[in-house]
Order: sequence, then C-alpha cells, then structure tokens
Amino acid sequence: MTVRWDLAATWAAVLAVTLAGWGLAAATLPVPDYYLPPPTAVFAAFGDLVVKGILPTYIAESLRRMLLAALIGLAAGVPLGLVLGMSRRVADFAYPLLNFFQSVSGIAWLPLMLVWFGFGERTILVAVNYTVLFPVIFNALLGVRSVPRLYVNALRTLGASRWRIVRDVLLPGALPSIATGMRLGLAYGWRALIAAEMLVGAHGLGFMIFNAQAFHLTARIMLGMGTIGVLWLVLDYFLLRPLEEATISRWGLVQR
Amino acid sequence: MPAKIALKGLGHEYVNPFTRERVVALDGVDLEVGEGEFLTVVGPSGCGKTTLLNILAGLMPPARGVVLLDGRPVTGPGRDRGVVFQEFAILPWRTVERNIAHGLEIQGVPRAERAAVVRRFVDLVGLSGFEKKYPHELSGGMKQRVAVARTLAANPEVMLMDEPFASVDAQTRITLQEELNAIAQATGKTILFVTHNVEEAVFLGDRCCVLSRRPGRVKALVPVGIPRERRTWKLFTSDAAFAATKDRVLALVREEVGGEDERP
Repeated sequence: MTVRWDLAATWAAVLAVTLAGWGLAAATLPVPDYYLPPPTAVFAAFGDLVVKGILPTYIAESLRRMLLAALIGLAAGVPLGLVLGMSRRVADFAYPLLNFFQSVSGIAWLPLMLVWFGFGERTILVAVNYTVLFPVIFNALLGVRSVPRLYVNALRTLGASRWRIVRDVLLPGALPSIATGMRLGLAYGWRALIAAEMLVGAHGLGFMIFNAQAFHLTARIMLGMGTIGVLWLVLDYFLLRPLEEATISRWGLVQR
Repeated sequence: MPAKIALKGLGHEYVNPFTRERVVALDGVDLEVGEGEFLTVVGPSGCGKTTLLNILAGLMPPARGVVLLDGRPVTGPGRDRGVVFQEFAILPWRTVERNIAHGLEIQGVPRAERAAVVRRFVDLVGLSGFEKKYPHELSGGMKQRVAVARTLAANPEVMLMDEPFASVDAQTRITLQEELNAIAQATGKTILFVTHNVEEAVFLGDRCCVLSRRPGRVKALVPVGIPRERRTWKLFTSDAAFAATKDRVLALVREEVGGEDERP
C-alpha cells in the first residue's frame, strides 16, 4: 500500500481548518461550555481517559466483541450462504427471508433480546452477531448465484466432483460478493455494537458515551464518537481493504 | 472401423420461457464420427448446433435418442469428452498454468508430472512466457488458447468444440485455425467442431456435416479429402479442391438459410 502524500496533506489541512473553526465557535458562541466544548477539552479528555486506562479498556472491549462477531460471521455465514446459493430453488426461497432479516437490524431486535437474554454480555453478542451474520449469508448466496454457469459446466466436463466445483469455482467466484458482505456486515455490526453497549451498559465505547451524557461530559461524548469513527476507518483500511486487494483485484474481478 | 461417437435418432426440444412455445431444436439426428476423425458441424444459427454439442458433452439429457461413445451410452459429463466452449470458460482466479493444469489436478496427477504436461501444452499453443498471467491480462485469442490447452492437457478421448473462435478477431482466428489443424495432426484426437462459418468448417474438417434449419437434422455429409499438412490459409485461397468443397457446402447451407437475411 503506497502512501498518497498529496492526499494526506489535503486531509491535514481540512482537519486543521475544521479544528480552528470549531475552537473559534466554542470560544465566541454564547452557550455554556458543556454545549460545545472546544477541541482542546476533547484532547484533554483523551489524555485523561488514556492515563486512567479507561479508554484503552473500552476500546479493547468493543474490538473484542467485534472480532468475535466477525469470526463467527465468517465461519458460519459464508458456508451457509454458499450452501443456500447452490440450489436455485433454495436460493429463491431464502432470498426474501434473508433480505427481511437483514433489514430488521440488530438494533431493532434489542428490546426483544433484552427480554430474552437480559441486561448483559449475552444480549450484546447476540445482537452484534445477528447483525453481522445476515449480510454475510445474503451476499455469499448472491455471490454463488452470480458465478457463471459456464464455469461450472467447464469443470463438470473436466470430470470434477461436486465438492471440487464448490472449492474451485463457487467459493472463489463468490469471493467478491463475500468480501462485500463482510464489509457491510461489519459496518452494520459496528453500529449495532455501539447501540447495544449503550442500552446494556457493560463497558465499551457505546457505554462510555451514553454514560457521559448523564454527567454532561460532552467532551467525553465527542471523544467517544471520534474514536468510533476512527477505529472503523482503521479496521476498514488495514483489514478489509487489503483482503479484497490481495485476491479480487488481482484476478481482475473488480474494476478499479 | 467402429464409430468413436454415434448419435442415434437424437431429438431435443425446449420451451421458450417467455412465449411458452415448444421449440424443436433437434429432430432425428443420426451421425457417426470415426476414431481420429475431425468432423465439423455447420448450419444456420438456431439449428441446434450448440444443443447437439451440449448433449454430446452430457451437460443436458436428450429428449429422444442416444449418444454412444465407443458403443456405451453417454449419461453425463465425463473427462473422456473434453469441451472447448464458445465463451471463454477458463477461470479468472487461476493463472494460465493453473487453468491448464486443472484437469490434471482433478485426475489426481502428481505435481511434478503436472508441471511437465503443462509446459508441453503451453508450448504447443504458443503461450510461453504467459504462464503466470491471469486471464484478464490476456487477449481473447490467448484466453481461447488456454481453454484449448486445458482440454488437451486433460487428455480426453474426444474433443468437442463449440464455435471456439467465434469471439476472437479475424486475424487471430486464422492463426488459431491453423494451430488447431497442426494440433489435430499432432495428437490424432477425435474432434467434433461446431461452427456457423462455412470456410472454417471446410478448412478444418475431414468431413463436414451440414445441419438443416430448425429442427436440426443431418442434411448432408461432405468429405473434404485434403491432407492436413496442406491445410494452410494460403493454400486454401488458391486450391481448387478447397474452393469446390467450400462452394458445395455453402450452397447446402444457403438452401437452409433461405429468405432470411443472413450470411453463413
């Protein structure tokens, strides 16, 4: 991955101007401090929470939950999507069902899950896993359906077994779609995680920003929001994109 | 000599999903292909050429009749019949050499032996230096060379080719036809080659089977009778025997195209 210095410089400039404008607004607008704390207050909150070890702990907690959901989503969602996608009839049946459950996000399930699984870790994990899982299954299914029949036929005439066709044709052919599903699933899951942590309140970044609101710690809320965004950028840029580039772009399946 | 491939009373029909109309694609096709023979099948578009080839490949069961390979009925696809498809059917996520080796991998041929066979066929189809390339880095003609090499490397008893050179440019097509001619001569494979291009059919075939318009039947079998080593495009354009055969086949196909504005 090459560093685009011109782009980095533009971003640094935009960031500096934004921070300066924000600082100016915070200093001049006739509102109490907790309405709009200056950027310096957010940085101070950052320093404070790092020193106390709260921020690192909460970040680690949120990332651990996310990683678990990603692994389960991959391990369970991909095979399930592949199997469902292999038969046209099964796929036609499953399509609206998966689409339905994908749209009813984990956040909408939370009230029910709280009743079923209680105010604790279990509810958070179920909500996040659910949210990650459906886009992964759904897109894996779409991926299999999008593999040209011609490739399957070509392998059949070479004497390939069913398992061989799954391994050599359907799985790699579905990979672009699986990568999309992973990216979408994790993006949805990240949001569901924050929401679940807010409601359940057992550590994590969501808990941190929700809890700070009770004490009017606005700077801490902003810090939490910024951290959520930055962490996602890092995850996406260093984990999901390289994965996509290592395989799919190289095969010429994605036109850039 | 017993027939390598025999089609007996082959018939097929399908239902047009939009109009619900029943279309008879093939009707009572009887045809025999000898061991080591290069048979080309030519006919107007829509006469069921591709259907015929797919049935032979075992990719679809015929509605009526049987396909015999060495006297045994064909019931599904198998590695005794290699297929080169019209569209480029090589896998985009495999390099040239891994595509060519695919049939051998499926057969469980050990790695070292595989590499040797791949090298031989890479050379045969003129792809040296491109072994590590992915299909999207190749031209249409090169992709089809990979497909031909993949089929040959798997060493099928019979090669079935469905308008394999229809989607490459004219210049490349001429080269590929001459190369296929050389390959046929070198390997002695039984080949059934489907095309709508009369010149191609006459240039390549030991015999040329003309199909009637839909529903497809065997209209005529025209022997070409020109030795393989004399089959170059340079000779083709000047040789009287070639010209006469081509005109004969062209006339037969023209009768079938009829009033339709379509040139074979």
